[in-house]
Amino acid sequence: MAKRTFGTNPWTKPGSTSAPPTKVIARPRRTAEVQAYLPEFFRGMAVTMKHFFKNTKEMVLGQKPDPVIESLNDGVTTISYPEERRPYAERFRGLHRLTLRDDASPRCVACLCCSTACPAQCIHIEAGEYEEGDPRRGYERYPKTFVIDELRCVFCGFCVEACPCDAIRMDTGMHATPYDSREQFIYRKDLLMEFTGRDGSRKTANTRHEPGDPTHPGLTREQGEH
Amino acid sequence: MSLVELVLTVVKILIIVMFFLNMAALSTWADRRQGAMVQDRVGPNRAVVPLPNMVARGIVLLPPALFGVLSIFTSLGEVTGRLALERTTVNVQLAIFVTWLSLLVLCAKVRSGGAINRAERVFEDVDPRSIFFAGLGVHALGLVAMRFVTPQGAPMAAKITGFVLGAIFLIVGFYATSRVPEGPIPLRLAGTLHALADSIKMIWKEDFIPKNGDKVLHGLAPILTVFSAVVVAAVLPFGNDLCFADGNRNGTLDFSDLGNLVATVPATGQCTGFRVPLQIADLNVGILYVFAMTGTGIIGAAIAGWASDNKFALLGGLRAASQMVSYEVAMGLSLVGLFLVYSTVRMGEMSAWQGQHAWGIFVQPVGFFLFLAAVCAETKRVPFDQPEGESEIVAGYFLEYSGFKWGMFMTGEYIELVFSSALLVALFFGGYNLPFLHPDGLTVAFGDTVLFQYKMTHLAVSVISVLAFFGKTILVTWVQVFFRWTLPRFRYDQLMKLGWTKLLPLAIANMMVTAVIVVALRNAGPAAESWLKLLGDISQGLVAVLTLAGTVALVVGLLEPVERHKFLVTSSARFAAALGGVKPTAQEA
Repeated sequence: MAKRTFGTNPWTKPGSTSAPPTKVIARPRRTAEVQAYLPEFFRGMAVTMKHFFKNTKEMVLGQKPDPVIESLNDGVTTISYPEERRPYAERFRGLHRLTLRDDASPRCVACLCCSTACPAQCIHIEAGEYEEGDPRRGYERYPKTFVIDELRCVFCGFCVEACPCDAIRMDTGMHATPYDSREQFIYRKDLLMEFTGRDGSRKTANTRHEPGDPTHPGLTREQGEH
Repeated sequence: MSLVELVLTVVKILIIVMFFLNMAALSTWADRRQGAMVQDRVGPNRAVVPLPNMVARGIVLLPPALFGVLSIFTSLGEVTGRLALERTTVNVQLAIFVTWLSLLVLCAKVRSGGAINRAERVFEDVDPRSIFFAGLGVHALGLVAMRFVTPQGAPMAAKITGFVLGAIFLIVGFYATSRVPEGPIPLRLAGTLHALADSIKMIWKEDFIPKNGDKVLHGLAPILTVFSAVVVAAVLPFGNDLCFADGNRNGTLDFSDLGNLVATVPATGQCTGFRVPLQIADLNVGILYVFAMTGTGIIGAAIAGWASDNKFALLGGLRAASQMVSYEVAMGLSLVGLFLVYSTVRMGEMSAWQGQHAWGIFVQPVGFFLFLAAVCAETKRVPFDQPEGESEIVAGYFLEYSGFKWGMFMTGEYIELVFSSALLVALFFGGYNLPFLHPDGLTVAFGDTVLFQYKMTHLAVSVISVLAFFGKTILVTWVQVFFRWTLPRFRYDQLMKLGWTKLLPLAIANMMVTAVIVVALRNAGPAAESWLKLLGDISQGLVAVLTLAGTVALVVGLLEPVERHKFLVTSSARFAAALGGVKPTAQEA
């Protein structure tokens, strides 16, 4: 067998031909005792059992707090999830909701700002005109359908920021829920309008002047016709 | 087969199936729990059922009240002779045990939660350990005191002790009920509810079948696996043969005879009435039936791998099939030595032989280890779990299974685990026999010298034998679970090499050596026979002494206070310790 030489690799800088210092690692001993497997097997079992009995003993004697009880104590970072919930931050972005007006209609005016801003393209809105004679006709439209695919949503909150009417909010405090079919992740208008904010209200905190309201700062219908 | 035999068989099947199914569920829990305990965690404990307060109180009150009333009622009847003595012994020991246990629990409760009345304040300064050792002493005193009960006084003693036992049960029950705290009680049962929660979950999970998989075979595979795991238990003898007298002398066993369990049987176990073996089917092929049926388990795993339409599943199925076929050979041959010694393949006769002579592990130690290795490989558990090697082939042959089909594979695996333990017990650990316990009672004898004799009724011996079999099975299962948390997995070539080049030649060698020794001893004459008998008795004595010593060592070791050493590893920890320390105890460190 040819002796290995170093520094002959043409792709590297020509260097010294002496071998770098090598560290000799002894091969694991493979004595008959190890090969027989049984002594090592018993040794391993002894180690496992020793730990088992030692930990059992501490638990039985109560020298160590019972981990079941202890895990329920205050200040323990592990929480008992279904019974206890970790409080979410105040500005936590949960599932969406559609805020309502005083007459329980959605504040949404179907301007499509949210669905345009949505990077995941998970919002689908079909706008509709109010009926003839409705005071809002001509001012604004309403969403005939408002659908959010919560499975596509990335919870970025852009829709909330884009909304000029504060009609869509993510303050429900609900995290994404597991379902067993994709169909159940499609949230429609009715469902979105049912959700409340974390304060239990279906309205928004940012009050808005309705058309016809004397405090309304914008154009009135009469002014608009001029 | 008469109707009564049919009913008895159904009862036996129920006992065995209930035991194996429950143990399968329990061992899924025990597996995780033991693995966690080794690493100083508790394992699964999150499953909880909030019991309404009244239900919790009912659960606490009902069993003691029931036992108490039962004890008082049974004491109203007349008993005579040996039965009266036995009943007195049981009553006294039970009364001591119940008092002892309740005092221990009360003491622990008072020390952790504080005393609520003057009687409880007594326990505030008592060490539970002293109650424990005092209880042991009182148990022993109770046994000694039984020596002073004369046969004439025995019926009266049985009556009085029965009433006392009943009263103790009632007092304990009512006091414990009064101490149940207010509000709903979270029921955790040390995490065993997880098995239940898992099974409920598995029932409702989606049953996924791969699009290109074989629908029929995909459904058939888990059934085959569970079938082969359950059906093998039919030949397990789980207790002494019961002996019923022919009460109405019509020559057949009928329902009225089931009340006539004979009072005593001779040491040889001879039965003049009807013999009912505690074994579902006493097949003459015995253990061969077990081999045949475990062989069909291979088909289940192979079909599961094939029907899943998945490369990894197919690889797992192939591995499972080749591994189980390979080890089937070694498993069968490693037991041939045992058949030569026992001169039978009937499981019942094997257990009886071990009771009269010596346990299998003493007559075939090499065979035991070979069989243990082979049977571990057959159950496809660590260290032989290449068929489901997670790091290589995801989950092996049941990769494409979900829901209850997956649950059936899992149940099958754990039933196999429990069954392999039961088989080890029946073949190597004396079956339902305990050392020196013969059908007529306890006889400590070495050769012809009888050291101690205590006659017992047939009923008592039978009950003890059934408990012994199931207890030993649970113990062996417990040990087998530790294999998983101790041994690393073999590589696949190592596994095959172990099976074909180590276990198989060793099994054949063991078989030949055993054959030579057996023939030599059979022709050696009566002197050798009596020496063998003495050796067998010594082995029984060894088992008894080792069991006793192990139990005492375990209890004393568990009760000894833990000494924890603080290791100050880092320089900052040493610095903190020099300033008085930041953590008051090692536990909080």
